[in-house]
Amino acid sequence: MMLVPVTYKGGIYQHDIVEDLIEDLGGYVVQKHILAQEVVLQCFVPRDDIELIREISRPLFGEVTDSPLVGTEIAIVSMSLEIHHLPHPSCDIAEYVRRLGAKSNMVSLARGPGKRIAGLNDEERDVINEHDIAVYLLGNFETCIEYKMPTLRRGIEVPIVLCGGPDIEVLKKIIDPPVDGYVGNVGRFMRRTKEADQLDKLDEIVAEITRVLEKKRDEIAKDPLSVSPARLMGVIREKIPEILDVTSPTPLTVQMAGLRVKLPYDTFAERLRHIEIEDGIQLGDIAEVHPSRMRDYILVRVLPFSETNTVI
Amino acid sequence: MLAVEYFEVECPEPLGAEYYKQIANDVLLDHNLLKVVDKLHIFIDPRVPVFVAVGILRKITTVVRVGDFANVNPQEGKMTLVISDETYLAPMLKIFWERFGKDKVEQPDRFTVILYDVPVQAKEIEEIVVADPSESVHKDLIYALRCIAPEGFRLRSEVFTGSKFLFVASENTLAEDIGTLIKEKFALMGEVPP
Repeated sequence: MMLVPVTYKGGIYQHDIVEDLIEDLGGYVVQKHILAQEVVLQCFVPRDDIELIREISRPLFGEVTDSPLVGTEIAIVSMSLEIHHLPHPSCDIAEYVRRLGAKSNMVSLARGPGKRIAGLNDEERDVINEHDIAVYLLGNFETCIEYKMPTLRRGIEVPIVLCGGPDIEVLKKIIDPPVDGYVGNVGRFMRRTKEADQLDKLDEIVAEITRVLEKKRDEIAKDPLSVSPARLMGVIREKIPEILDVTSPTPLTVQMAGLRVKLPYDTFAERLRHIEIEDGIQLGDIAEVHPSRMRDYILVRVLPFSETNTVI
Repeated sequence: MLAVEYFEVECPEPLGAEYYKQIANDVLLDHNLLKVVDKLHIFIDPRVPVFVAVGILRKITTVVRVGDFANVNPQEGKMTLVISDETYLAPMLKIFWERFGKDKVEQPDRFTVILYDVPVQAKEIEEIVVADPSESVHKDLIYALRCIAPEGFRLRSEVFTGSKFLFVASENTLAEDIGTLIKEKFALMGEVPP
């Protein structure tokens, strides 16, 4: 059964019918937002059943759209939190990918700006590595990008999409070894992205992120995960009810090959490891439970089939 | 940038210059400084790296008076001011309190101020000077130029005189002969440094 990420948008009235349907079909609701009279569900559903969901939600005026970024956690790496980079373009991009279902976190570097003085510390490196992909938002000058990029990517193991002011060909030429994705002509700017051409640029960034993530998905598919992170999310929610009291917008953040559990590591890690998923298989058998560098959260990394010989 | 007589951004990277022209335009526009700047020349060399902004200011003669942002309606025993722009509301109230006393000034809501039994005509009230934008223009300009300059350039040298200004920034110690560069950039505008 091939699960695909989609977004359901509809009225609050009888939306539980759609939610139940998704679960009955074997899908998972990753995020649920209720905004006044509207409900937005970001979910994974079986590819063959999308039409059925559309059919059933039609009388409720529900809308099902493809959302390739659902179930991913993206690090938007901004060079600083100064007025120079915020709210444009960093927040604009972070917000735009969020609209398409991704959970984006803004990672701002303590010493990101400048040319010679730019640097990346170990905490920043580890936090970026906890995400599925890192989107680097750099400046307008190719000289600076060429000079500082080797420093800023040191130790980064996740795919990088680089956004910078120069043209895409120039970016490709100056970055060595190459990164996974490039978007040119998006450097530092100090105006809101609201014109059609600026929105096209945001779409281009999303397209590039999607392309790189698809590649990563294909890699994962070659050695499938022992359990789907979305399923793990449901199990944790059921077995550790304390997660329901967490006020964070996404207490369980689904990633492509794991999930972030926003509970203190010291208190909950052992309990988490011993959760039974199915037929006596515990979470600790098929996933690694690490302390996250982000606050005192827990990071669960699901192991691939080749390491556990189990798929549930 | 219609109001600025001369506006150039010089950079060895043409695309970078184009972006910085846009940034400078946006920042000056946001900070309402376009009508203040007469000439502006920005030079950026990311290879050094250095950022130089030199320019000429226009004389600001206008002051903000109560009549510019409020409608004064004299009534029997009182005067009602209908405020259309709140920006200068606080300094205006302060002036009224000092001049007439707090008991004679009432503000029932955000956009209304009522003066009771004040011994002046409506015309005089309208003429009261509330703010002088030229007082803060240098401060605003320094802030704007800090926003325009690349963020890592934290070593700065600024000179702001009556009508001329220069702003140099870099992440390295500024070169000793930076004065020559500044002179060159002023010469491009047909001016001499302050």
